[in-house]
Amino acid sequence: MKLHLGLLMVLAVAAALTVFVGVRAAGLADVSNALLAFDAADPAQVVIRSVRLPRLVAGLIAGAGLGMAGTVMQAVTRNPLADPGLLGVNAGAAFAVVVGALVTGYSDGGMIAVLTFPGAAMAAIAVFLLGGARHGTAGPVRLTLAGVALNALLLSLISAIILTRSDVLDAFRFWATGSLSQANARPLGLMSVSLVLGGGIAFLAAPRLEALALGSALARGLGSRPGRVQMTALAAITLMTGSAVAVAGPVAFLGLIVPPLSRRLAGHVLRRELLVSAMLGAAILLLADTAGRLTMPPGEIRVGIMTALIGAPAFILMVRRLKPGAFA
Amino acid sequence: MKSSILVLPVLLLGAVLLSLMIGQVVLSPLQLWTGLWSGTGPGALTLRVLRGPATFTAAGAGAVLGAAGTIFQILLRNPLAAPDVMGFMSGAGLAVVAGVAFGISLPLPLLSAAGGLTAAVAVALLSVRRGAVMQSSLTLILVGIGVSFLASAASSFLITRMPPQEAADAQRWLVGSLAARSWQHAAQVCGLGALLLLVLALQVRALKVLELGDELAAGLGLRPGRARNGLIGTGVLLAAAGVAVAGPVPFVAMMAGPLGMRIAKVTAPGARLCAAAMTGAVVTILADVVARSIVPGVQLPVGVMTGIMGAPYLLWLLSKEAEAGEL
Repeated sequence: MKLHLGLLMVLAVAAALTVFVGVRAAGLADVSNALLAFDAADPAQVVIRSVRLPRLVAGLIAGAGLGMAGTVMQAVTRNPLADPGLLGVNAGAAFAVVVGALVTGYSDGGMIAVLTFPGAAMAAIAVFLLGGARHGTAGPVRLTLAGVALNALLLSLISAIILTRSDVLDAFRFWATGSLSQANARPLGLMSVSLVLGGGIAFLAAPRLEALALGSALARGLGSRPGRVQMTALAAITLMTGSAVAVAGPVAFLGLIVPPLSRRLAGHVLRRELLVSAMLGAAILLLADTAGRLTMPPGEIRVGIMTALIGAPAFILMVRRLKPGAFA
Repeated sequence: MKSSILVLPVLLLGAVLLSLMIGQVVLSPLQLWTGLWSGTGPGALTLRVLRGPATFTAAGAGAVLGAAGTIFQILLRNPLAAPDVMGFMSGAGLAVVAGVAFGISLPLPLLSAAGGLTAAVAVALLSVRRGAVMQSSLTLILVGIGVSFLASAASSFLITRMPPQEAADAQRWLVGSLAARSWQHAAQVCGLGALLLLVLALQVRALKVLELGDELAAGLGLRPGRARNGLIGTGVLLAAAGVAVAGPVPFVAMMAGPLGMRIAKVTAPGARLCAAAMTGAVVTILADVVARSIVPGVQLPVGVMTGIMGAPYLLWLLSKEAEAGEL
């Protein structure tokens, strides 16, 4: 309980920073007015209502989604290098949306919602098959390299599509490196629903996922059906990653750094890990975003770049911690 | 198995010709020929200004990258060990971007060489694990991937701080691009490349001996550590020479060696290096031809094409290695 309260405080601080801090600092009165007695003529209130609050909501969705998706991935594959960004699931969701926009000319919220989930699901299935998850657990080296290859392929295809249209360079940036700056144009309501759905599935299936992590033979012995549990995990990962990408673009590394931290905080109980991952992921993403906004006002560093700057050293650290047997 | 290394020069000539002919306007070999000698007409313009420099820059960059990749693949005995996978090229790219961002007026090859060498040293140091007698090549590769992530993130960070037009150019360059290359670029990469390949030629014997294992190599009078460091240095500098003119083009360094070995049917290190250099040139030229002609009116960066070609190769390699039980 103490742990959760502490995390909630951290999250509250991160949220407050997102709302109050910026090129134009907001006061408590501005925020409460914007929420309770909105005056469209007051620029301070407009900024809060149309920029900072959507940003906060997008950060909560993407942070919680990627944190939990990474936790499920690492639990199922028993691979500390698994992350929806590094394994190409983010890129799959982004690719589907970009292709959809190219073919149909639409990229509104409904269109994004229809495309992001199949894209994420297909990339997740592809990377697990190519990474050798079929034959028992996927080794960290092979799975990571399969992710590198899938990411390279999808990002090359995304840039090939987008660079043919010079008018949408900004859109390209969004689908290549995640950002919270377009939050008010994103389908926030829809995606918070799908996030809750994905999180709920993961939470309910957590005991069976844990059994699966012991290996399929043992899981079968404990009375669960590995195939069906894998499908459940896939559904949860897809819903959570898809929601995150739809509101924030592909943000890498968050799903890599959050799970080991939450494992340390919550112990090896998947349900508790999931809860902690959601809060921790959201807090880290919001803090990284705020740091990115403060680095070079009035411009900003995209949050996907900030997480990569934190995440890449963490990746190296985790490679060094892999047991020698993991390479065999 | 009979070696067929002569296939490669023919392929290279064909690729060069194709690259000169194909573009917004398709020229016949005859038009090119008259343009070359008369100095007037569409052939001359295409040859001298538009496609000539880009083609020869692509050839030079591809050749140095192919040779560089093969050095590491032989040294680490792993087809995944290439300067693009292991972050040396991202490091070189970062140094060039940093040079532009901070207004450091050093020549690009120097900057990229400094960046590449720094990345290589970082990968080597970060891969040292306590209690491990020798770094496994897979640790080096994974740490290299991490260094590559870091360098790319740092480059993106610096690019965000540049003025918009400069940022767009830098972004394109970081994907790997041959747009707006001049004869200066072609001469630079071909000159530096020739010099470094000459140095490499002197090191081929050491590479051959190192393949036998350190103990045998020492028995044959070679200092394994020193020889290896020399080869790594040459490899990183070769890769950096390519990055300086074409940006960190992905996957050429990784693909060229194995592909060249298959086409030319060679196994000796020296022949493999030759084959890889020529294959790298062919791959880069062809990728650029496709990149600039696949969508009418749009010139895609060459790196987009090598990414689309190289990623499936990497996936195929992974499934093959897994079957052989190596991963």
